[in-house]
Amino acid sequence: MDANALENDALSAIAAAADLGQLDEARVRFLGRKSDLKQALREIRDRESGMALNELRERLEGAVAARYNELTGAALEHSLREESVDVTLPGEASPRGHLHLITQIRREVEDIFLGLGYEVIDDREVETVTDNFDALNFPAWHPARSRRQSLYLTDDTLLRTETSPSQIHVMQTRKPPIYMVSIGRVYRRDAIDPTHFPVFLQFEGLAVDRGISLADLKGTLLHVMRALYGEDRAVRFRTHYFPFTEPSMEPDVSCFLCGGEGCAVCKHSGWIEMGGSGMVDPAVLEWCGIDPEEFTGFAFGCGLERSAQLRHGVPDVRLLWQNDLRLLRQF
Amino acid sequence: MLVPLDWLREYVRFEASPAELAERLSIATCEVKRILRRGVSDVDGNLDLYRVGRVLAAGKHPNADRLQLCKVDVGEPEPRQVVCGAWNFGAGATVAIALPGAVLPDGRRLEQAKLRGTVSDGMILSERELELGADHSGILVLQEPHAPGTPLADVLPLGEDVLEVELTGNRPDLLAIYGIAREVAALYGTELAPPPGRDPERSGDEFVNVQVEDLGGCPRYLARLFRGVRIEPSPAWLRARLLAAGMRPISNAVDVTNYVMLALGNPLHAFDYSKLAGSKIVVRRARVGEVLRTLDGEERRLDPADLVIADGERAVAIAGIMGSENSEVDEATTELLLEVANFEPVGILRSSERLPLRTEGSGRWEKGVDPYLAEQAARYASQLLVELTGARWTGDVDVQGDLPVRPVTRLRAERTEALTGLSISSTEQTRLLERLGFEANNGGVVTVPTWRARDVTREADVIEEVARIHGLDRVPFTLPVRREMFGRLKRDQRLRRLCEDVLVGAGFAEVYTPSLVRDDPDPQALRLPEPLSADHAVLRTTLLPSLLEAAQHNLDAGNEAIALFEIARVYLPGGGQLPEERYKLTGVAEGGFGRAKGIVETLYAALKAELRVERAKAMFLHPGKSAQTEAGWFGELHPGRLEGSWAAFELDLERLYAGAADVSVYREVSQYPPVRQDIAVVVEAAVPAADLFAAAREAAGEELRDIKFLSDYREPPIPEGRKSIAFRVEFQSPERTLTDEDAAGHRSRILAVLAERFSADLRG
Repeated sequence: MDANALENDALSAIAAAADLGQLDEARVRFLGRKSDLKQALREIRDRESGMALNELRERLEGAVAARYNELTGAALEHSLREESVDVTLPGEASPRGHLHLITQIRREVEDIFLGLGYEVIDDREVETVTDNFDALNFPAWHPARSRRQSLYLTDDTLLRTETSPSQIHVMQTRKPPIYMVSIGRVYRRDAIDPTHFPVFLQFEGLAVDRGISLADLKGTLLHVMRALYGEDRAVRFRTHYFPFTEPSMEPDVSCFLCGGEGCAVCKHSGWIEMGGSGMVDPAVLEWCGIDPEEFTGFAFGCGLERSAQLRHGVPDVRLLWQNDLRLLRQF
Repeated sequence: MLVPLDWLREYVRFEASPAELAERLSIATCEVKRILRRGVSDVDGNLDLYRVGRVLAAGKHPNADRLQLCKVDVGEPEPRQVVCGAWNFGAGATVAIALPGAVLPDGRRLEQAKLRGTVSDGMILSERELELGADHSGILVLQEPHAPGTPLADVLPLGEDVLEVELTGNRPDLLAIYGIAREVAALYGTELAPPPGRDPERSGDEFVNVQVEDLGGCPRYLARLFRGVRIEPSPAWLRARLLAAGMRPISNAVDVTNYVMLALGNPLHAFDYSKLAGSKIVVRRARVGEVLRTLDGEERRLDPADLVIADGERAVAIAGIMGSENSEVDEATTELLLEVANFEPVGILRSSERLPLRTEGSGRWEKGVDPYLAEQAARYASQLLVELTGARWTGDVDVQGDLPVRPVTRLRAERTEALTGLSISSTEQTRLLERLGFEANNGGVVTVPTWRARDVTREADVIEEVARIHGLDRVPFTLPVRREMFGRLKRDQRLRRLCEDVLVGAGFAEVYTPSLVRDDPDPQALRLPEPLSADHAVLRTTLLPSLLEAAQHNLDAGNEAIALFEIARVYLPGGGQLPEERYKLTGVAEGGFGRAKGIVETLYAALKAELRVERAKAMFLHPGKSAQTEAGWFGELHPGRLEGSWAAFELDLERLYAGAADVSVYREVSQYPPVRQDIAVVVEAAVPAADLFAAAREAAGEELRDIKFLSDYREPPIPEGRKSIAFRVEFQSPERTLTDEDAAGHRSRILAVLAERFSADLRG
């Protein structure tokens, strides 16, 4: 075997390989088990020619590897050069669902209160008249007690008319400090219209501790309203009456659509009614075994759908209960 | 309630504009819903175009039989020529006239016009055109001979701003113009006029027979007798006032009772004394089966719980709610018995709800009217009756039960600051309270006025009064000082969010459906005895029907890729007073059994809970494609429910969470490569795949890392009644690289076990 001729033939065949198939053919021919080189290596008997042939084998293997890299690199080069897509075409869709707008607001509210160090309470909806009215200091004449306004199951039980009975449950089982927000469904005998539905969701914050004042209520409400409706919001109070608070007030938030200039949403007053609030009535604390001389508290409640409607411009609350995907997928 | 501002000004002076007053009242006292304008607008000098006129001459229009042609002196050098369609006046009459350019209350602008060829340079006005009354039978003839040219607004209440206020149930004292005036005086620090009404001269001392059998229901009954009453329409000012306050004028006597009610807040009633059998009044509970035809013409069947006013024989009124035709004051009435009573609120509320019949009177009584108000209301009504009907006041009686005493409470000045954050001196707090009629001494003892006795009984109530008059806007903004924190979600709340997020990630849209439904599959489901409507009558025990409805809605709307879920409570009737409420997670999605099982698997995996599935029957599901877990059911919806193939599931959240792992502990990830083997066996079609896999797992031992289902094949050449289950087993050791021989050993052990237990044949 002529080592030089073999090397020349092999190197030119490797260099001439135009693709990986030809390269492999060359490799088999010059380096395969049946190749002259392998045959010669098997027959070698002296150390010197053995080393020479081994070096030759390594050189050829190196040349195959180098050519392999050249060819694959070129192929990659080529494909990168040739392949391109229309980037404006839509992608492969991943499934994506949607939390209902009410849940999105519910979570926001939960997170705002968690940030304030409040616990989140989710309590039962069918209540006793005792916990829904008596414990909350509703006088006998209060219209909410009437079957015209509330949905009774029996003479002693009804669908809760506000989330407040959950406050009674907590205050009866635990000593202050209590900082909680109750969120859930409440029920009223309201005729259905764009802003009324017999089932709706409320969130209601309660703080009972030493030294809680109306000023703390104002500060807390301002924080919550700004978190929900924007940092520029202002809050004001109008005197009102609720059986379970004294003093009682309705909070207004400055209109986030017109900034207080006056628009249709705020009925040209610059202010939007947000719900009810006040200092927990001493009778309520006493009912729960809490000494109103030692502890005071505040409470405030708002509707979740109302917040959703106002903030997102949903004109009719019924849309939120209709569950049309064309609406659900907007949020 | 409507508060005409001219009427309010009779009791209190204020400089604020109507809008400013409305805002101040809204913040401190009661909501002002809007400001209405009644009658003639006073914008752009409109009021100046309304004058008193004196008719100098009146005669038939030359070209029209039905029109009069008049010369009217309106205080100008020359009289004006006016054409008029009314004939109830002649030369010498004093009339109300609007000049060209005037805008009438109905919005029409008056122009100089030619009527049947004759210029009319103004318009002689009727009551109705001025919105002073309903009378349009003729023009308004003024009784007083006011000078021609006098501004009409000086002699008639032509127009005014009226506040529409919405009151809360705790403030019956505000259901009166005088009550609002008291608040205005306190808010602006101005003087409040004494309450209106002075007793007229008495002419006689007749016995008035009143028996109150139920002093609990009627703690006070004050009655006054008037003789020589002349019933006729009220004067224009009174009719205008009533109209402005939203009440219809009827006759002088009835109008007086309504007027005094609006002014002071105590409802009154007038009986024709001559119609009272036995000339007496008995206040008692209704008799069983007693029937009364009320003034609205309705037959009312009374209940023994209803309080009635009766005469010697029969009921003549439902106490506090409505009078009856049998004792009504009418045009022929000459003897009148005035009732100024006090009724207990809850009884009136119950009766008015039961009947149902709500009136201006019942709306006041049910909130609790001050029993000490009766005397003043009686004085004012007597004064007006004598003035307006020419009556003589000939007798009276005042029957009283135990009237409440004025509440006395303490007020610690520092407690006001503790509760409100407002720093107000003790002297200033006293001053603010006195403006509202409270008495406060230096020792911090506060005596509540009778008209607030129901609402203000404790220190906190008094502090509210101080704070609202001082100004809620002056309360600073602070945050509670915290000693303990609670700001973390509880386990179930965290897991709920996880479930919601997993479902959203899987393409489900969350829905909210009402808890009250038309019907429920559970016949025991709680039903409202008095539902709002048939659609919201039953408390549901499952969410699925509501979700099917939502899915159907979306199908009808042509929406695609429908996949819906809801998390809400169900209400399970049990033995106790209250139903058991449980949270359910329910979903409906396009797809079949596999979609249902897939989403249930995903939920369990996300919760790191072990899923154990059994074949089961479930009400809404395809009988061959339904299954259950410890937490609920899932499967393919019964084909009769919705068109197409649908997946459905309902899981009980508490049970679902029970299996969730709170903390996942690290399991070693092997560094050695896995070896895989595919196996297909033919078994009886009824053998559950899960049993095969469990047996395989047992046979292979610890080195089996995973079994993955590949296919379930039942077509030929597989014999009828059998199926081929293909699966991939993966072996891995934490200690070494497994060899093909290791894998072959595991494989043959698996096959041996499957052959032994399930008569499985190795396929292919």
